[in-house]
Amino acid sequence: MKIIATIRKESLLLIRDPGGMALIFLMPLGLVIVMALIQDAPFRDYQETKLEVVFVDNDKDSLGKKIQNVFLQSPNIEFVQESDSNKARSVVRSGKYKAAIIIPAGASESLRKKNKQLIARIFANLGYPGASNDSTELPTANILVLFDPAIKINYKQALASAVEKVIANVESEWIVDQLQNQLRGNNSSKEKMKVDFSGVINVQQQYASKHTNENMVLNSVQHNVPAWTMFAMFFILFPLAGNFIKEREEGSMLRLRLISGSQFPVMAGKFLFYFGICLLQFMLMILVGIFIMPLLNLPQLGLGNNIIGILLTACSVAMAATGYGLLIAVFFRTPQQALSFGSISVVILAALGGVWVPVYVMPEMLQGISRFSPLNWGLESFNNLFLRDASTLTILPDVLKLIVFAMITLSISIFIHKSRTIS
Amino acid sequence: MNEPIVRIQSITKQYKGSSQPAINDLSLQILPGSVFGLLGPNGAGKSTLVMMLCGLMRPDTGSIHLLGMDTKEKGAAIRKRIGVAPQEIALFPTLTAMENLVYFGKMYGLDIHTINKRIADHLEIFGLADKSHKRVHTFSGGMKRRLNLIAALLHDPGLLILDEPTAGVDTQSRNILLDFLISLKEKNISIIYSSHLLEEAEKICTHIAIIDEGRLVTEGVPAALIEKHADCPSLESLFLKLTGKHIRD
Ligand SMILES: Nc1ncnc2c1ncn2[C@@H]1O[C@H](COP(=O)(O)OP(=O)(O)O)[C@@H](O)[C@H]1O
Ligand SMILES: [Mg+2]
Repeated sequence: MKIIATIRKESLLLIRDPGGMALIFLMPLGLVIVMALIQDAPFRDYQETKLEVVFVDNDKDSLGKKIQNVFLQSPNIEFVQESDSNKARSVVRSGKYKAAIIIPAGASESLRKKNKQLIARIFANLGYPGASNDSTELPTANILVLFDPAIKINYKQALASAVEKVIANVESEWIVDQLQNQLRGNNSSKEKMKVDFSGVINVQQQYASKHTNENMVLNSVQHNVPAWTMFAMFFILFPLAGNFIKEREEGSMLRLRLISGSQFPVMAGKFLFYFGICLLQFMLMILVGIFIMPLLNLPQLGLGNNIIGILLTACSVAMAATGYGLLIAVFFRTPQQALSFGSISVVILAALGGVWVPVYVMPEMLQGISRFSPLNWGLESFNNLFLRDASTLTILPDVLKLIVFAMITLSISIFIHKSRTIS
Repeated sequence: MNEPIVRIQSITKQYKGSSQPAINDLSLQILPGSVFGLLGPNGAGKSTLVMMLCGLMRPDTGSIHLLGMDTKEKGAAIRKRIGVAPQEIALFPTLTAMENLVYFGKMYGLDIHTINKRIADHLEIFGLADKSHKRVHTFSGGMKRRLNLIAALLHDPGLLILDEPTAGVDTQSRNILLDFLISLKEKNISIIYSSHLLEEAEKICTHIAIIDEGRLVTEGVPAALIEKHADCPSLESLFLKLTGKHIRD
């Protein structure tokens, strides 16, 4: 009854505080949309953009075709045809394209000749009749892969190794072909066997989550929505501490102290109200992720399938955020102190927790520190649920940490508040 | 003779970081049914004493009993039975008068019918009935004071403690207030009332105590005190004689 009255009072106070309302609901909305848009490109870059590669095929023979065929199947690389190798160099140098592959004229022919000579020498060495042991140096065909210096190192490696792999493949095929030629000798009645090495060992790639879902990749939306939701929930300390300290300064808290002995309904009412506000923020942000993000040409937020886990995490984050806000509110004497310390600390905890950029791109030392940020516990838990479709058991440690954090901050704030009630 | 409702036994209180005690070895008894004026210049220690009476501040030494209960042990029980209007306006400025009072009523644990009845009665008495749905921050100083007093009356207390209820209030407001206090006196509700305004104390108080720099200077029935000091025609001249003329703050 008293708690409900307090919740009602808190809601009236908040509704009549347009600044606080904007801070709770509009700021996170703006932040999440702006950040998701800004980070969309870098996130794509990081894992899903198509790399455009200039392709110059002066060979016009099987090697060029093979390379082209292989890359045609790759979803991440797109060839841009170009005939002039000098022009290819200049567009890469200028940064317009990140890489170029140049196959010189006669590359196939030279590779074929080299193979033929190699096999013939092997046979001659083994004493086969008719095999010529020709040891003249044949020119090597130089296939050129050009890179823009600004290319990401992992792209560079991927591209170079792909080209090498294709050449190795082609080479093996031709060696077998040549072997057949040599062994067959003049007996040309038998059909030659076509050997394809590409399927001998197949490396299959898959995301290691139970359900394959196109959304379940860490993209800008998957990162930013839970991240800024965490931020927003912790930022309720602003209206919470602001109103709390105002009540203390304006004397209405004195009135409440004069009314009765127990401050429990007052504190519980505040806690429950802001807990509810946090959950409301959470729902709002999730809805933005699902409905607004696609309108902005961004991917839709994927939630995974563990609804219980999501609710559990949201509630524990809401508890932790409210507890932290209450602690700031009772600890500091003036609103200036509380609000500046409060907001700076949340920004730092957010940065450490991986709200601005994901933890895995941070330096190792910071990654270690980030495990101490409550925002990281929540974010980690949401990532586990949204991306990896984790079980409730998996997220339980993070959820428990948040609840313990909430309990500790709450007990300290009640202790401080009580000790200040009577001086 | 009745038991005193307030018994203060040689209390001392010094604020942290201050060089002088705000209350210095003060003893006082207040009888039921009296309108007790706690008089003294600014900084005399009136508000400090009021906070100690309602148990929100503890004396460093000595003891205070209200309604037979020690404020140190039974603070909450005492606060349930007394009404206090503190010197600062203790209201939510962004809530309306009604919202403030309803919330306080609920926090007193009253049922909504009682709350509504008492609010309506008191708003009427204090001339705020037509302002009940206006937010408090739009109120004048006098209106806030009156509302601050209503908040102390919702639970029908037997002892009322008012800290400078007439500060910053115009003559009209003050008269409503004093008339109301006189009506409470007739209902045998005890009132402790602090002020630095002597005229009004002379008008309504049955007993007064003058305190200065935390010490009790004199106490008694106003008329008797004036009679005792033949050179003082009024309480004010007595007050000045006893507390001196230097400015306090
Ligand atoms: N919170 C406080 N901290 C330190 N000193 C205080 C505090 N409150 C009051 N005082 C000092 O105690 C003395 C008594 O103050 P107060 O009880 O407010 O007097 P009054 O109400 O009679 O004007 C004054 O000297 C005042 O400066
Ligand atoms: Mg005072």
